[in-house]
Amino acid sequence: MLTADLIRPRLQWEGKTLSVKMVDKQDASALHTAQDLLTLLQSMAGQPLAAFQSSLEQYEGDRIDYLLIRGLAKILLDAATFTPLSTPLPPKELRAKLFATGPVFSSPDLFHLQTRQNALQLVAEEVGMGIDQIDLTFFADRPVTYLLTDPGPAWTPAEVLARYNLELARGVLYWASHVRIDVFDSYKDIWKFIKLFKLMFWAEELRGGGYRIDLDGPISPFVKSSIRYGRQFAAFLPAVLLCEQWRMIAQVHPPQAPGTMTYQMNETCSLHTHFKKSGEFDSALERNFAQEFEEKFGGQRSHWILKRETTVLLLGETVMVPDFVLVDKDDENRQIIIELVGFWHPEYLKRKVAKVRAAQCQNLLLLVYQGLKLTPDAFRETVSEVIFFQQKPVIKEVMGAVEALAERLYGPRQPHKGQKASSSST
Amino acid sequence: MSRNFIVFQGGTLVIYGEKAAKQNLPPPFRLIKERFRCEGYRYCHVQPILESQGIRDQVPRWEPLDLALYDPREPHAYQLEALDAWESLSCRGSVVLPTGAGKTFLAIQAIHRAKCSTAIVCPTIDILHQWYRRAIHSFHTEIGVYYGAEKRVLPITITTYHSAGDLFAEYGNTFKCIILDEVHHAPAPSWGEAIIMAPAPMRLGLTATYPTEQEQMVAGRWRVDDLIGGPLLYCKQIEDLLGEQLARYRTQRIRVVLTEEERRAYETDYAMYIHFVRERQLIKRHGADWFKELMRLSATDCQARQALLARQRIGRLLAGCQGKMEVLETLLQEHVTDQVLVFTESNALVYRVSQQYLIPAITHETSADERKDILDGFQTKKYRAIVTSRVLNEGIDVPEAKVAIVLGGTSGAREYIQRLGRVLRKAENKEALLYEILVRGTTEEGKVQRRHARREVEVSC
Repeated sequence: MLTADLIRPRLQWEGKTLSVKMVDKQDASALHTAQDLLTLLQSMAGQPLAAFQSSLEQYEGDRIDYLLIRGLAKILLDAATFTPLSTPLPPKELRAKLFATGPVFSSPDLFHLQTRQNALQLVAEEVGMGIDQIDLTFFADRPVTYLLTDPGPAWTPAEVLARYNLELARGVLYWASHVRIDVFDSYKDIWKFIKLFKLMFWAEELRGGGYRIDLDGPISPFVKSSIRYGRQFAAFLPAVLLCEQWRMIAQVHPPQAPGTMTYQMNETCSLHTHFKKSGEFDSALERNFAQEFEEKFGGQRSHWILKRETTVLLLGETVMVPDFVLVDKDDENRQIIIELVGFWHPEYLKRKVAKVRAAQCQNLLLLVYQGLKLTPDAFRETVSEVIFFQQKPVIKEVMGAVEALAERLYGPRQPHKGQKASSSST
Repeated sequence: MSRNFIVFQGGTLVIYGEKAAKQNLPPPFRLIKERFRCEGYRYCHVQPILESQGIRDQVPRWEPLDLALYDPREPHAYQLEALDAWESLSCRGSVVLPTGAGKTFLAIQAIHRAKCSTAIVCPTIDILHQWYRRAIHSFHTEIGVYYGAEKRVLPITITTYHSAGDLFAEYGNTFKCIILDEVHHAPAPSWGEAIIMAPAPMRLGLTATYPTEQEQMVAGRWRVDDLIGGPLLYCKQIEDLLGEQLARYRTQRIRVVLTEEERRAYETDYAMYIHFVRERQLIKRHGADWFKELMRLSATDCQARQALLARQRIGRLLAGCQGKMEVLETLLQEHVTDQVLVFTESNALVYRVSQQYLIPAITHETSADERKDILDGFQTKKYRAIVTSRVLNEGIDVPEAKVAIVLGGTSGAREYIQRLGRVLRKAENKEALLYEILVRGTTEEGKVQRRHARREVEVSC
């Protein structure tokens, strides 16, 4: 991520609406700069960081777009690897020996018979190093002396600019006290990253689908507008971009702006995330279940549609995103939620069972792998249905339970006219 | 039915339990996100509520700590009075002592008396490192440090105001006692925010300048009394202690000249820079913010950018000009039997001087353990000199230094000299000596002239 000084001067506002000046990804001069910096970094293989920094300063010269240059360079440096020189003796130990001889001077006088050269010579002999090697080792533990060993990914200039724009948007959130997002898909990923970046959330279902999530931290409600969690918001932002449809509004307090500003974005922004979307299925168990459903009950073969992770059970400080939801084609209110409880760590299971209990969700059907030694007792205080299975769930049995549960909760089905004939239409 | 319980969570106290949200609790508790919550520092105030409502207290994770004290010095009478005052008020309150009067020593005594895990919060990383060294010497035990570069949490942990929020969010309930060094800084909005996250029921504030009632009332800032949870307990001013504790020192200013080549470079850059500043009337129009304005302009205006670069070149040139280096070498040779501290404002120069004369360097990059080794080595006279880059506005503690050489000229350096002078202590009836090396006929001298009158007053104390 960029440092705040590379963001602040690019902030602009109109009224209370904040924006950050992004770079045009087609801009020839910016593309050129990105290419120059890529070339510069490549050419520095094996050189110390300090050498790159001074070449960068030279490259910058008196150009006034130095914010762009430094921003792009920061992105490249963060992705590159610098490694300390391996030295025969830890630099700190070598220094301690040398410092014990100082101060020394280039020529001897009444009080200093030992010159710098003598001192180096003596220590060099003691530790078995050459004098040149001593000079190289002296501060070899300072990061600026680390050597470029891996210049990072093979970016194209356009990719660097795209990443720069993302980092600018993230940077705006350094001064955010509160972020609200509305999301309409990718729930599992969203909550995974909320947890990962230790944000506190408050979620509610939006009318017409989707969820509104308010993000802040534990101390936020007690102080006027804490920007303590700004870096966490910034780290989190690329997760929102995983969603197909979303919008965000943040309360931001940039140091130079008069009062609180709002910063807004939605899926029409041109930013790209570098976070990985999780795969469609978490496990083979889930994939097999979905496949088998499609083969035996998919399409016209039943009145159920199997949807992936489209529902979130809001449980206060935590959520549960069940694996599947079966929705009745004829009546969307008839929904049965399915959660597979497969081969997992005991701690995970404990949390899972606690969540199921907290959910008190009647239309939840749990498919539990018997090998886990989870007895019906474990689910005693839940209102959910449980089916145990040995190897894999038998889809027929599951669908039977689904029908029974739906009928119990929602009453008998009232199929649409004309749809009933599906089997006789051939 | 199991009882409700209160836990520590990210700097707040939260009540859990089956009926947690149904119980109606008085302030400072607030019902937020379906739970009763309050800030960490309310911990000692909510005890009666917890008791009357039968709420189980699961907040404390702090440990008793019985450490032997290895500091043989006896506390002064005023330090004992201050400690007694603190203990008599449930160990919550602030103490005012002038710089150099042994605030750190007092705090070490307080930790020894409190006998529990303690966090110390101080303004800068340099001061943190100093606390670290003092704490290790006093208790002969591992000491934790928590700041950007190093994060190790132990029963005694030292942090900065800047990092305290992160420390307290995660480990707030592991410290029963917190000590706030230079507590007059704590009311700054983001710093105070960190302090309210700690539930520690024992709190000691230390400063040389306690804010007045009026200063405490500033909107948007916290009150020291609130953050500490207690009043100003004890106050001794510099006049009360003069002659007893503080050293005398004198400054000697040395003016050097630029070489012809340096002078040419200086004049060119200076002309470019001052021309721009005058032409745009930056100082007249923007007052104290003129430099910010120059920075801002430099991202859009070529001339501004060039003026700024010229100014930076001047800074580098003056910091390490040949004349200064020569004087430095002469002084190092002259003070062959003294303990010498060399101060420069540029990191690059610190490393150059260190490598050239083989004297240990301390910068913000230096780790806590190497700093400690260097300062210990300086104390035992294994090392004769230290070169450092930091503008240490408060609390530097190098009693062994008899000579300080400041390759300065900027306002930071000036402040540094004033502070440094106060803390160099008397030893063997010798006065501490401060050299200030300036470049004649440059911006460095101008700054000194402007501050001259005020400075002399400071020096004469």
